[in-house]
Amino acid sequence: MTISRREVLLGATATAALLPIAARAQTSEVVIGVIYPLSGASAQIGVDAQKAFETAAEIINKKHDFDLPLARGEGLPGLGGAKVRLVFADHQADPQKGRAEAERLITQEKVCAIVGTYQSAVAVTVSQICERYQIPFLSADNSSPSLHRRGLKFYFRASPHDEMFSKAMFDFFDDMKKKGTKIETLSLFHEDTIFGTDSGNAQSKLAAERGYKILTDIKYRANSPSLSAEVQQLKAANANVLMPSSYTTDGILLVKTMAELGYKPNAIVAQDAGFSEKALYDAVGDKLEGVISRGSFSLDLAAKRPMVGKINDMYKAKSGKDLNDYSSRQFMGLIVMADAINRAKSTDGDKIRQALVATDMPGEVTIMPWKRVKFDEMGQNNDADPVLLQYVGGKFVTIYPPQAAVAQAIWPMK
Amino acid sequence: MDTQFAQRRRRELITAACLAVLAALVPLFVKDVYVQNMMVLTLMYAALSQSWNILSGYCGQISLGHALYFGLGAYTTALLFMKFGVLPWFGMLAGGVISALIAMALGYPCFRLRGHYFVIATIVIAEIGLLLFHNWDWAGAALGIDIPVRGDSWLKFQFTRSKLPYFYFALVLACIAWFVTWWLEDSKWGYWWRAVKDNPEAAESLGVVVFNSKMGAAAVSAFLVAVGGSFYAQFVSYIDPESVMGFQFSLLMALPAVLGGIGTLWGPILGAVILIPLTELTRSYIGGSGRGVDLIVYGSLIVLISLARPQGLVSLFSRRKRAAK
Amino acid sequence: MLTAETIIQSLASGLLMGLLYGLIAVGLALIFGLMDVVNFAHGEFLMISMYATFFLFAFFAIDPLLSAPLVAAALFVFGAVVYLLIVRFAVRAKANAGMVQIFSTFGLAIVMRGLAQFFFTPDYRSVTNSWLGGKTVSVGGIFLPEPQLVGALVSIAAFVALYFFINRTDFGRALEATREDAGAVALVGIDKNRVFAVGWGLGAALVGLSGAIMAIFFYVYPDVGASFALIAYVTVALGGFGSVFGAFAGGIIVGLVEAVTALVLPPSLKSVGIYAVYLLVVFIRPRGLFGSM
Repeated sequence: MTISRREVLLGATATAALLPIAARAQTSEVVIGVIYPLSGASAQIGVDAQKAFETAAEIINKKHDFDLPLARGEGLPGLGGAKVRLVFADHQADPQKGRAEAERLITQEKVCAIVGTYQSAVAVTVSQICERYQIPFLSADNSSPSLHRRGLKFYFRASPHDEMFSKAMFDFFDDMKKKGTKIETLSLFHEDTIFGTDSGNAQSKLAAERGYKILTDIKYRANSPSLSAEVQQLKAANANVLMPSSYTTDGILLVKTMAELGYKPNAIVAQDAGFSEKALYDAVGDKLEGVISRGSFSLDLAAKRPMVGKINDMYKAKSGKDLNDYSSRQFMGLIVMADAINRAKSTDGDKIRQALVATDMPGEVTIMPWKRVKFDEMGQNNDADPVLLQYVGGKFVTIYPPQAAVAQAIWPMK
Repeated sequence: MDTQFAQRRRRELITAACLAVLAALVPLFVKDVYVQNMMVLTLMYAALSQSWNILSGYCGQISLGHALYFGLGAYTTALLFMKFGVLPWFGMLAGGVISALIAMALGYPCFRLRGHYFVIATIVIAEIGLLLFHNWDWAGAALGIDIPVRGDSWLKFQFTRSKLPYFYFALVLACIAWFVTWWLEDSKWGYWWRAVKDNPEAAESLGVVVFNSKMGAAAVSAFLVAVGGSFYAQFVSYIDPESVMGFQFSLLMALPAVLGGIGTLWGPILGAVILIPLTELTRSYIGGSGRGVDLIVYGSLIVLISLARPQGLVSLFSRRKRAAK
Repeated sequence: MLTAETIIQSLASGLLMGLLYGLIAVGLALIFGLMDVVNFAHGEFLMISMYATFFLFAFFAIDPLLSAPLVAAALFVFGAVVYLLIVRFAVRAKANAGMVQIFSTFGLAIVMRGLAQFFFTPDYRSVTNSWLGGKTVSVGGIFLPEPQLVGALVSIAAFVALYFFINRTDFGRALEATREDAGAVALVGIDKNRVFAVGWGLGAALVGLSGAIMAIFFYVYPDVGASFALIAYVTVALGGFGSVFGAFAGGIIVGLVEAVTALVLPPSLKSVGIYAVYLLVVFIRPRGLFGSM
């Protein structure tokens, strides 16, 4: 039943792809390119991202009573109510393919902006192409700090990067120490792609600056068939805090292996990624009571801002999942980009860029716990305050920073 | 027979020259950058596959680890440029020479291995290379190397929007790889390899010379593939271990030759011309659905072609079977 | 921080993991090692076995230990069908049989991944709360996870069964004879296709068995096979083609080497140890440890 409906949708997309470009240009619409891994090892992220972007486009294109930019009207008023149309492309986690797809979207599909990409390596090449064609690129969910430091004029990132995330963790440790909790030693456990490497580097640096001792710093191969040797070293070190930076697959294996080898860390403070994915908690949630993960999103914001709950419901109807750290950032990515296009009143790359530079969106009109969205000269939003969430009773509650917290941290974890 | 043979050789050369000229004219009519991009990749894979074919097709040493040489070429060029300011043209040569030397050093122990033992050895050697680059901080480790592009420059071999310089470079590389293959077919080495294939006992009597010729084939093949890798680094202007040294790359390099016709002069080109646009188009136009349909289509075609034409698609064109067989 | 306990635990974990690698490779040892047919879709066979186990658990609440025989039976059929529909033609290819086998099964692997993504979505799945899941025994401070212990036992049993099957049954002899010379066996009335179809079915059934055990403690998604496939090839080749015992020994060596490498090198390089040992062995003994081909 579901499959047949999806097949119909699929057919429709295929037909749309075959329509001549001229026919499309006539309709008053704004085309935005979205580049994600839609097949291959991280396809799950890309498929969920598709739903998040579709939810955002639906809110922009139809009337919704949300306190969110562009929600109340239909389409983009700055462009005579033009509708946002998304074109999805698959980069299969390959920088070369990401680059080719970006070029195709710009030259064939005539997109006026691109949002992407999950993998930071692909963001490098996609943003390069965007720079060459003077088309704005917004990193919805890439967290590698090196991305915005390359002197690109058309690169923007509304969400935090790994150094900001790691800083929040260490701020939290400092706070806990002041309250008398013993946090002196850390174990780092990170995977060997860009995400884990950047995260590990940021954490080592911060630990040195703030006087925490790193007992073990384990870099492991992503998607390993076994992590028992690694976990054993973590167990032998038995630091006060275990800090994993792992994607979903390795996260599941890590937690299972820890249980099998009888390692019960005092506390886990995770660098998001796998630790904000539903699949991980479905698999090993029972062993993770009290785990802390950084994030840029929290569903308990819905208590303060009811629209967060409603948007979550819309997303859930499409994907069967709650918004998480990734899908919320993807959702906001499109809203921020569409808002800039609307203010630019044009689909010209340079004008949109100017509008992005002028962006100043208060945190209250987003679904995030951020102060606001305002880009610095490198295109990074430094006011995107990360939060720390703790997994308690099958749900995430915000425990840090104090202004966003709804509960006290449970320490040590159960 | 000699004259007939000489005639065929001459005909091949003329055909190749005509095809090269025709290919060189295509960008005058095709202006779409996406299609141009696809043509650059097609030519690049034709060149890579042609080079792979020298060692694996003609010489019969099936390597599924050529990603190692591709990656070495890419990394040598990128590192020399970023760390020491060496222009990519010199980096390209350096990468080629380093790869050729490594190929010979590895060939020395590996050529004693037969069949699957050899194939698996090539795979794990490339994997070791991948892991080492993944953990080598000086070479960027997982972060890779981002080559900044500051305007168009032939000296630095980088161009912001135009695909034409890359297109012509890839075309020249494909022509060189083709010409080397063509020349080898009629060389002493070519005769030995054919002799060894047709008659394993001949291998015994030719022992030492054949071993040396295999080392030569490995060096030539690795050199050309490394130049392809250098080209790729300039073309994409970003490399990381996974995208230039991954196992998938070794397979993708072999695939055009296998589907087109392994150990044949035209097979790799034909295979690349069919396969690469197919890969790109299925991903671009049906991959966006996120349901894996592109994989199903792509995979099925590989199964069908490899089963229906085990001697390669090139056999569809040959009017008569090789007299030698 | 190399205490005696760490080292013993490492070796114990390595041994268990090695037996599991053996279990994953045992099906390949039959197809690749004994029948001399390349199967580049081995990882994908493992993937669908794990999916089958997962769905039997999710929809019918059948514990992986009980569903293992069911999955093995299903994979038997699947393996035989794959042989008859695809591999039969690849083996028969007059030119480049080796490459045709590699790439037709490689194509099949891609199709299987695509189909898995199409029907099962790319979501990560896990069997939760199975009988053995997460249970562990502790002997004098050394932890031995129960799923891996059971996996190790199944692995040993599978190898013993395969050994007797190959060496002590008529069918085993027929299989070996067919590989040696299909023409000659045809004269004594053995149909190559039937023998090989059954061989493929059995090989796939063994993969099904290992997939069911793996599903107890490993996640499942369309690309999961890739992590295991290369190790399985190395295991079979290290032990030597044509030797059932070789594949078994190969698995144990791979597991132990991996554990030891992770102690002395950064863990992200632990596979380098496995690969280096393979190269060392074949450079000294070009037919692997116990190979006959």
